[in-house]
Amino acid sequence: MLIITCPNCGSRPVEEFRFGGEIPQPPESITDPFERDLDQVWMFTNVAGVQTERWFHDAGCHRWLTATRDTSIDRFVD
Amino acid sequence: MNEFVETLLELTWHEPKSSYDVVIIGGGGHGLATAYYLATQHGITNVAVLEADYIGSGNSGRNTTIIRANYGIPESIRFYQHSLDLYSTLEQETGCWIMHATKGLLWLAHTESAMRNERARAMLNTACGAETVLVDPTEIKALVPQLDLSGGGRYPVLGASYHIPASTARHDRVVWAYAQGAMQRGVHVLQNTPVTGLIRDGDRVVGVRTATGDISAGVVMSAVGGNVSQIAAHAGVRLPVRTHPLQAFVTNGYAQGFGPIISDTELLCYISQTARGQMLIGHEYDRETSYSLQSSFQFLQANAIKMSYLLPFVRDLKILRQWTGRCDVSADFSPIMGFTDVDGFVITTGWGTWGFKAIPAGGEAMAELIATGRTPELIEPFALSRFAADHAMADQGSTGTR
Amino acid sequence: MHAPERLDGLRVVATPDALDHAWFEGDVVVFRIAHDEVIAFGAVVAEVPDEHAIVERETAFVGWGLSYPEFDDLVARHVEWPLPTERPALAQGMAAGLPVKLWFEHDRVLLVVSSGFAHEVVERFRLPAFAESVKKQDTRRMRA
Ligand SMILES: Cc1cc2nc3c(=O)[nH]c(=O)nc-3n(C[C@H](O)[C@H](O)[C@H](O)COP(=O)(O)OP(=O)(O)OC[C@H]3O[C@@H](n4cnc5c(N)ncnc54)[C@H](O)[C@@H]3O)c2cc1C
Ligand SMILES: [Zn+2]
Repeated sequence: MLIITCPNCGSRPVEEFRFGGEIPQPPESITDPFERDLDQVWMFTNVAGVQTERWFHDAGCHRWLTATRDTSIDRFVD
Repeated sequence: MNEFVETLLELTWHEPKSSYDVVIIGGGGHGLATAYYLATQHGITNVAVLEADYIGSGNSGRNTTIIRANYGIPESIRFYQHSLDLYSTLEQETGCWIMHATKGLLWLAHTESAMRNERARAMLNTACGAETVLVDPTEIKALVPQLDLSGGGRYPVLGASYHIPASTARHDRVVWAYAQGAMQRGVHVLQNTPVTGLIRDGDRVVGVRTATGDISAGVVMSAVGGNVSQIAAHAGVRLPVRTHPLQAFVTNGYAQGFGPIISDTELLCYISQTARGQMLIGHEYDRETSYSLQSSFQFLQANAIKMSYLLPFVRDLKILRQWTGRCDVSADFSPIMGFTDVDGFVITTGWGTWGFKAIPAGGEAMAELIATGRTPELIEPFALSRFAADHAMADQGSTGTR
Repeated sequence: MHAPERLDGLRVVATPDALDHAWFEGDVVVFRIAHDEVIAFGAVVAEVPDEHAIVERETAFVGWGLSYPEFDDLVARHVEWPLPTERPALAQGMAAGLPVKLWFEHDRVLLVVSSGFAHEVVERFRLPAFAESVKKQDTRRMRA
């Protein structure tokens, strides 16, 4: 079972949270402002590895938190 | 591939050459169908399909095999209806028995607002050439006598849209049919050959890297399912795609016949009976992105409960197997087919949880695109460039995408 | 075991420091549900040293007061995460598939849910339902 540690509520099963996705990060190499906006809105790095992402504690404090997870094995790191 | 499969099929394995006109990365349904139609419709046979594992080891051999066209926007309905038509003649065309069976699909509604959705779906489908009618509880009961119309007291069935031509086919046989057809015409299919990088010449992609050497290509197509972001990254292409796990499970055999496929957008699950009589149950994709193929107990628990509201008999069945696939879910839930900003690099992706039904039409269209250098009209709406043009094709037309 | 009570109070969003120093009039139970938010059940007036504080009346919760044997028997086995050992303490999370808040006092536990889930609590934990008379009674003040 996957466990997320919420700074407000403590350690809880992942089912208590809503997934908010990877934090959008247009690469530095994209410099055109329109292209950066496009990337920010639509594109994903979708890494097979460590991803910084947002989770919402739906069954608890109703706050967003940031977590890092290795998506290749679906385990939180830290 | 194993000996049993090899005896069923006429497959000729080749040593890799150092150069092909077309290199297709990924030996799933989409990659192999594209190779097949390049050979059969365009006479292009200097083609290699490079598969990391064995053919059909990805989602094309893991899906719940539903073939239907009752989608939510005209462009999709037209595309999937064409695929459904191609499926219905695929056995004749390839000479392979893919166990294609027309079953009809019921999309159940438990609330007035869901009824309005199903009514709208039926009307839109009919207008776009996919046969869908609205049915009432009495008609539903006649189609599925096992259904508890009270939904266990919680999910009363008020009606359904009934998509009459919906069907299923044996998934790996579809993969093998296309592989055999392509290989008989000279296409090379190379298993256990993961592509580890792309070769670039200036802005162009001119080949692929593998552990056993570089292979140059006139055109490289990515058809790698859930791994598409990694392959595209080698070309410097970023995609509106996230990789989500999708799980399914089957029970032991259910002695009675079970007619149609049942789908439920409120409970976010669906069920059908396999040719062996097992009950096959699927669900929406896992909410968090992941490349892990680990299946979860939570999934089994949630679905077993939900299905037993609708079909009390499943309580007496045993769960036989559970598995997971890696789905390339696009941001607007529609496929992404065609050119990228990088010359020599084309993609077919965004197949998410719904791409098995699309294998014939997707393969046919991508073959035409590669052969002619032009985007076929049928798939024009599904170009990657639609996102920059602010023309997303939002279509939450699958059970799990609502 | 008692029928559930409607819990009225104040919900306050303010800086964490202001919440540390907030004062509520009356016989109150204060749930610190996040670093920057509290629900003060039983409160009618709040003094919060933050000029941007948001103070709203909160009437959407119900609670069941349970003895520890009742809690252990009916609720604890539905909780799949570690319960706090200090007293008093607030714990929030999922129990039997419902988002619950648990308030641990020395001699009892208060099980609090958003009122929309009240009937589910009754069904899933086998706790007593609202009595008709309780529904109408004004239970702004909680018994300690
Ligand atoms: C549980 C489940 C149920 C589903 N149910 C349905 C359904 O009922 N109806 C429906 O229409 N669709 C369904 N789908 C979706 C459908 O299975 C897929 O959309 C479809 O199979 C995609 O085909 P593909 O050829 O694009 O990808 P895949 O079949 O996944 O093939 C991609 C191939 O690429 C290979 N590959 C990956 N990386 C590399 C690399 N670097 N080098 C070389 N090869 C590589 C993989 O090994 C794989 O074989 C379901 C999916 C799942 C997981
Ligand atoms: Zn929390």
